[in-house]
Amino acid sequence: MNARRGTRIVAGLFLSAAGILLTAAALSAAVGCDLNDPDRDVKRLFPASTGYKTLYVSIAKKGGDGLLRQIEARLGDKFSGLFETADVPFTMYEIYKGADLIGYIHGVNQKGTYGGLQVFLALDLKGVIKGFYFQKLTSRAAKAFRDPSFGDQFIGLSLADFYNYDVVSGREDPPGRVGRIKNPEPASEKDFRAALRATKKNLVLVDEFLLGNPHLKFFKG
Amino acid sequence: MKKIGVFEIAYKNLLRKKTRSLLTILGIAMAAWVLVSLFGFNRGYEASLNKDIDNLGFQMLVVAKGCPYEAATLMLKGGTGLKYMKEDIAATVAAEPEVEGVTPMLMQVVFDPNKGEAGGLAAFLGVDPVTFPKMKSALPFKAGGWFREPEAAEAVFGYEVAELEQREVGDLYLIPEKEVEVKVVGILERTGTQDDGTIFLPIKTVQRLFGVRELTSIGIKVKKDADMKAFEDKMYKLPDVQVVSLSQVKTTIMTLVSTARVMVFSIALIAILIAMMGVVNTVLMSVMERRQEIGILKSMGAMAGDVFKLIWLETVILCVGGGLIGTGLALLTARLTDILVRSLLPYSPSGGLVAIDLGLVLMTLGVVTAVGLASGVYPSWKAARMRPLDTIRSEVES
Repeated sequence: MNARRGTRIVAGLFLSAAGILLTAAALSAAVGCDLNDPDRDVKRLFPASTGYKTLYVSIAKKGGDGLLRQIEARLGDKFSGLFETADVPFTMYEIYKGADLIGYIHGVNQKGTYGGLQVFLALDLKGVIKGFYFQKLTSRAAKAFRDPSFGDQFIGLSLADFYNYDVVSGREDPPGRVGRIKNPEPASEKDFRAALRATKKNLVLVDEFLLGNPHLKFFKG
Repeated sequence: MKKIGVFEIAYKNLLRKKTRSLLTILGIAMAAWVLVSLFGFNRGYEASLNKDIDNLGFQMLVVAKGCPYEAATLMLKGGTGLKYMKEDIAATVAAEPEVEGVTPMLMQVVFDPNKGEAGGLAAFLGVDPVTFPKMKSALPFKAGGWFREPEAAEAVFGYEVAELEQREVGDLYLIPEKEVEVKVVGILERTGTQDDGTIFLPIKTVQRLFGVRELTSIGIKVKKDADMKAFEDKMYKLPDVQVVSLSQVKTTIMTLVSTARVMVFSIALIAILIAMMGVVNTVLMSVMERRQEIGILKSMGAMAGDVFKLIWLETVILCVGGGLIGTGLALLTARLTDILVRSLLPYSPSGGLVAIDLGLVLMTLGVVTAVGLASGVYPSWKAARMRPLDTIRSEVES
């Protein structure tokens, strides 16, 4: 009996070690989009928060190619390029006040005209945007895009609003709240569209990984 | 009637006290695990360091005087002090008979206000499109290749910086502060070195954009048959420059690592001694508990040598069992050990830090078996010397 228990302990150690190794291998496969300073950033976006929990998820782990196709369909565009792939690990933050969950923060990488964009959203429990900001932005119009007046236009929107926005053509049909978001620098239209695509991608991923797909009913694809 | 061998008797004896035997085996396994991992680290670290140095493509780096000595490590990690030296030093060095080739480099750093909340730094390494690719011929490309023109507005991105900037071959990139566009012509594969985070531009382009005509460093490839020491001495005589030889770098790093290694080896030695004491204790207790049985065995005709062999075999089974589990654990957790060691050391080369091969496994098993044989001598001798009548009488009295 004792020997059997000992064997179980050894087996447990093996499995734990293997688990750590596999996690480490998966994390080193691709780079996600983390908050630069989670303690500071969480407090700034959710002043009432007392803590947060970090979750690491990926399309490849949750559903593979099938899920990737579903997410692409909801986004209205294919994932493309070297760095937008199913195995990108997404870092999602659950925000707590005491023991109560009060919201989420999630950021995504997006290709811009001259470099990468990192678009972060602070969301309430229903997936409505409470805060929008660029953690990183390489653009000729960076100053205009980082102005709070640009980010404020996203507040109050949810994935239900973004489903009518076509990330490829940059049009919303029928016209709605997303179409009313103003581009502060018309010469940087590509970066403006990149910001909207990143926001829609971000909302789709949060809906899939954190909210349990409550917005799927609005998807007409 | 089934004939039972001495090995089977020894094995069954160990099974009579399963928990004690298992704990002893685990103790030995832990010691073997540490031993294999340490020897594996010993081999792996030096091999990876050599590989990193080979991948650098040059064995010596000349930097402007005033660059801190820590540049030795910084250089391997990609940093460099922004002190400048004159361009013609490259030609002076290239003229030396020991030199196979030189490659001039110019590092420039700009502040990017749009990186993070408070901004961040973006570094650019200007390299010569002719000499640098030749020296760094081991650098693999994920897509595209090196720029061809000496003043092209083109860039080659290391893997991680390409991922951060989401750049692919053919994309444009805007150099912060300068607001100048360059075209991405190559993306490097992930190498695990400083190159992953580097944006390479043609050196003339960097000099033009930043208005700097000087260099921050010169990489030197020395001929294979050259006397490195004599050449190093010659380089030290150059005015206003400092020489960082990779043989020095290697020696410095290995010295630092050796100090830590000696400490850890001492701990491993203590672990082995403790495990050895554990084995002696276990087997001796087992012998004392079986005094009567041993006495009966001897009274039935077993010779002292037979008893010695039986007890010794029990010790060897414990040690070999522990050794096998320990080496297996070391093999399974080599990657984990690598991660842990990497997080503890101030500098780690890019390759695997723990290299475990069959030779190392066999050597460890040999050491553990030898430890087992040595540990078993005293309890076996004690058992072999027992007098049958004394042991039986002592049991009756107790």
